[in-house]
Amino acid sequence: MRLEMGHIYIKDIQFATESKIEDGVLYVSEEALKAVALEDEKLKSVSFDIAKPGESVRITPVKDVIEPRVKVEGRGGIFPGVIAKVDTVGSGKTYALKGMAVVTAGKIVGFQEGIIDMTGPGADYTPFSKTLNLVMVAEPVEDIKPHDYEAAVRFAGFRVAVYLGELARNLQPDEVKVYETLTIKEGILKYPDLPRVAYVQMLQSQGLLHDTYVYGVDAKKIVPTIMSPTEIMDGAIVSGNCVSACDKNPTYVHQNNPVIEDLFAEHGKTLNFVCQIITNENVYLADKMRSSDWTAKICKMLDLDGVIVSQEGFGNPDTDLIMNCKKIEAEGVKTVIITDEYAGRDGKSQSLADADAAADAVVTGGNANQVVILPPMDKVIGTLAYVNKIAGASEETLRADGSLEVEIQVITGATNETGFGYLSAR
Amino acid sequence: MVKEIERAGIPVVHVCTVTPISMTVGANRIVPAVAIPHPLGNPALEAGEEKALRRKLVEKALGALTTEVDGQTIFE
Repeated sequence: MRLEMGHIYIKDIQFATESKIEDGVLYVSEEALKAVALEDEKLKSVSFDIAKPGESVRITPVKDVIEPRVKVEGRGGIFPGVIAKVDTVGSGKTYALKGMAVVTAGKIVGFQEGIIDMTGPGADYTPFSKTLNLVMVAEPVEDIKPHDYEAAVRFAGFRVAVYLGELARNLQPDEVKVYETLTIKEGILKYPDLPRVAYVQMLQSQGLLHDTYVYGVDAKKIVPTIMSPTEIMDGAIVSGNCVSACDKNPTYVHQNNPVIEDLFAEHGKTLNFVCQIITNENVYLADKMRSSDWTAKICKMLDLDGVIVSQEGFGNPDTDLIMNCKKIEAEGVKTVIITDEYAGRDGKSQSLADADAAADAVVTGGNANQVVILPPMDKVIGTLAYVNKIAGASEETLRADGSLEVEIQVITGATNETGFGYLSAR
Repeated sequence: MVKEIERAGIPVVHVCTVTPISMTVGANRIVPAVAIPHPLGNPALEAGEEKALRRKLVEKALGALTTEVDGQTIFE
C-alpha cells in the first residue's frame, strides 16, 4: 500500500470572518466552527480558544488532541467508520496541517484528566506545548447520559478537525513524504536479506474513557488483526481515552505514530517493515489470553524475525504486554517492548505489575510517578476545579500560590509509550 | 498484602482477575475473579443470578482456603 503524505505547515492561527489557509496562516471563522461542533443536538454550547507555544496558558482537562487532515486522492476519507464512510484507507494522497492541533478540553465525564502547559516546566513534558492549539470546550444539554456526552465531544473534535483539513484540499503541500509497504511475497522477493519486522500496537480498551476505536469499532470487541501501517495516517484508529493522560495515545499520536515513522525510515535499508498488528487490553482474563495467543499466532504465520510491541496505559495492561512478549518470543520471534514505569515518587518500586525473563529488551517512556511543580499560568482554558482529584494529584496538589504539585502522569503525553514524548536519558 | 499476611502464619486466598500478576507476586492460593472493574460480581446479570455467582466465588475461595497446596495453585 502506498500513501503520499503532503505536509502543509501552519505558522499561525487567527480567528476571522472567513475560514481559509493563506501563506501558512490558518484563519478560522468561530461561527463556522461552532456550527460544525453543534451539529450534534447533545451539545448545548461550545467555545473556541487559541493557545500558542510560549504563552502562559494551561489547558485542562484535555480529552483528545487531533491533527487536521484531508484525503485528496484514493479510497475513503479521514476517520473512516467515524466521520467518513467505512472504506479501507491508507493509499493515495493525504494532506496534513502540521504544527497545529485541535484540542478538546473542559469538564468531560467521570475523570477530568490531562494537562497541557504552553510554557514553563510542564511544557517540557508534553509534545502539545509545541503545537498551535485550537481548543474546543463543549457544554452538553441537560440530563444527558455521561457516555453520550463523552461520545458527543469525541465526535465533535473529529468533525472540527475534518472541517479544518478540508481547507487544505486545493493547496500545494510544503513537503511530501511517501510511505509504501509491500505485500508479503513482494517484500520477501525484494528484500531477501533484510529482517522482516512488524509493529504490534496494543490499544487501550478497558471501558468508558479507556477506549480506542478502529474504523469505528470499539477495540475491546476486536480480535488481533493486521493492518497496513499507512491506514492509521488517515485516521483508521482514534482515541476515546485520556485517563492518566501521560501514557494514553491521543488521536494525534495514532496519526503520527513514531514507531511507524521510524520503521518506515529504516524500511528497505536495515529491515523490511511487513505490517502493523493491532491488539487490545481488555478487562477479562480470557480476552487477555485470547488476544495474546492470536497476536503470537499472527507473528508466527507471517514468519517475522522481530517485532516492536508498544503498550498503552499501565497496571493490568502490563500483563497483556508480558503475555504478548512471552508468547511471541516462544514462537521464535524477537521482541522489543515499549512501556513506561510506575516506580513510585522515589523511583525505587517495581516498575511494572508483571514481568518475565523473555522481556529482555525494554524501552521505557519514563517514570510517571516523578513529581514536578507546575507554576501558575495567567490563563486556564477549561477548569482547575477537579485538579486535586486526578490520577497523579492529591489533596495538596493545588497550592496557595496557585502552583500545582503533581506527578508527571497528569501531563498529556509525558511518558507516551510510542516514544512520542520528550523524556530521555541522553 | 497476601504475602505479608501469610508470613504472619495465616493462609490467604487471593481472589483476582489477572491471575498471572498474582502468580508473579507470589500468592499461593489463587481464585480467578470475574473482571477487573467488577471482580466479585457481574452487572450484566439479573440480581438473582449475580447473587448465585457471588456465592459460588466465595464458596470456592473458602474451599481453597482449607485445601493443602504444594506451591502456587490456581483454583479454576
